[in-house]
Amino acid sequence: MRVVERRGPTDGELIQRIAGGDRPAFEELYGRYISAVLGLALRRLGDRGRAEDAAQDAFVAIWRSARTYDANRGTGAPWLYAVARNAITDGLRRSPEPTAEPQDSPSDEPDPADSADLAWTAWRVHRALQVLPEHERPMIELAYWNGLTQSEIADSLGIPLGTVKTRTRSALARLADALEDI
Amino acid sequence: MVTRGPDFDDLVDPEFNELARERLRRVHELLVTVEPLPELPSKLAPPRVPYSVRLAPQRRRGALLALAAAFGILALGLGLLLGDGGQSPRPDRVIVLKGTKQARGTTGSIALFDADAAGNWPLEITVNGLVPSAKGRPYQLWLMKRGKLAAFCGSFRAEADGSTVVPMNAPYKLREYGAWVVVRKGSKVPLLTT
Repeated sequence: MRVVERRGPTDGELIQRIAGGDRPAFEELYGRYISAVLGLALRRLGDRGRAEDAAQDAFVAIWRSARTYDANRGTGAPWLYAVARNAITDGLRRSPEPTAEPQDSPSDEPDPADSADLAWTAWRVHRALQVLPEHERPMIELAYWNGLTQSEIADSLGIPLGTVKTRTRSALARLADALEDI
Repeated sequence: MVTRGPDFDDLVDPEFNELARERLRRVHELLVTVEPLPELPSKLAPPRVPYSVRLAPQRRRGALLALAAAFGILALGLGLLLGDGGQSPRPDRVIVLKGTKQARGTTGSIALFDADAAGNWPLEITVNGLVPSAKGRPYQLWLMKRGKLAAFCGSFRAEADGSTVVPMNAPYKLREYGAWVVVRKGSKVPLLTT
């Protein structure tokens, strides 16, 4: 049973509405994905200023390409990811990174395929986090990205440790449902 | 696998159901590979106010540009084109200006209105983030042709907060030109461009 709460229209429904020129739908989709798109651009481009420009370009591309979305071919998230990734890559071609000095030793950077997998995983994880209940999402963010222990989360939020543990388990279970195909 | 993030046993007690634990551990291992989302700069913050862009419906290309630009403008926090009950002239298109390396963080737009009978294109340029002008009108809007400043459209100043909204006129055949650029008077280096 899928336990991730559904809130409002799906991504695919929003894209279909955007194809019809629905600006509120565009705003909603923008709110859902702007951080993820910026994260993707930062990962790809490295430079903050260029990434911000690329994120804007990506949303212009989403607006313009919405008519190409076919709900029969999949949900909205992969389509959005593909359009955003392509827009960011196009921007990189128009404004290439400075040429790096050749390296004598193998790079520590992941190879492109691994990098693409990580980017897609991050995209999915962040989207799944967004649909967690408001009282559960901070448990994950504070534990994984702020480095707080469960006791520290309890102290900082002023709730019992048992509640933190229960909410954390519940959040992880919802994420497991949402991400079971990864 | 990256070895950072919380201790799984701190999150899910070892006494918890073993099958369920393994399922949650898989998610845990995904989470530790993922970076947090970046902080959004104000220029990319989602719009918080309803807005409307009034465009002639028959102008499909103009509408696309304008709506895409309207998104850009709102994302840039400029708030141009808020509805006013249909009393103001409607821009035929809105063109987004982006700050170059010389003016990173500067944003702007050009609202371009229908040409008059004499072929003049009224426009309104909006810019945020320029260095405020102590005196005079040190900034200029140009049309470019083949990579060079080719047609002067007007000069303007930036207010103390770096913003400006100025009506201008472009008495040119716009199809003959490429990008719009904002430069400092006497300079050919673009500060903003399309």
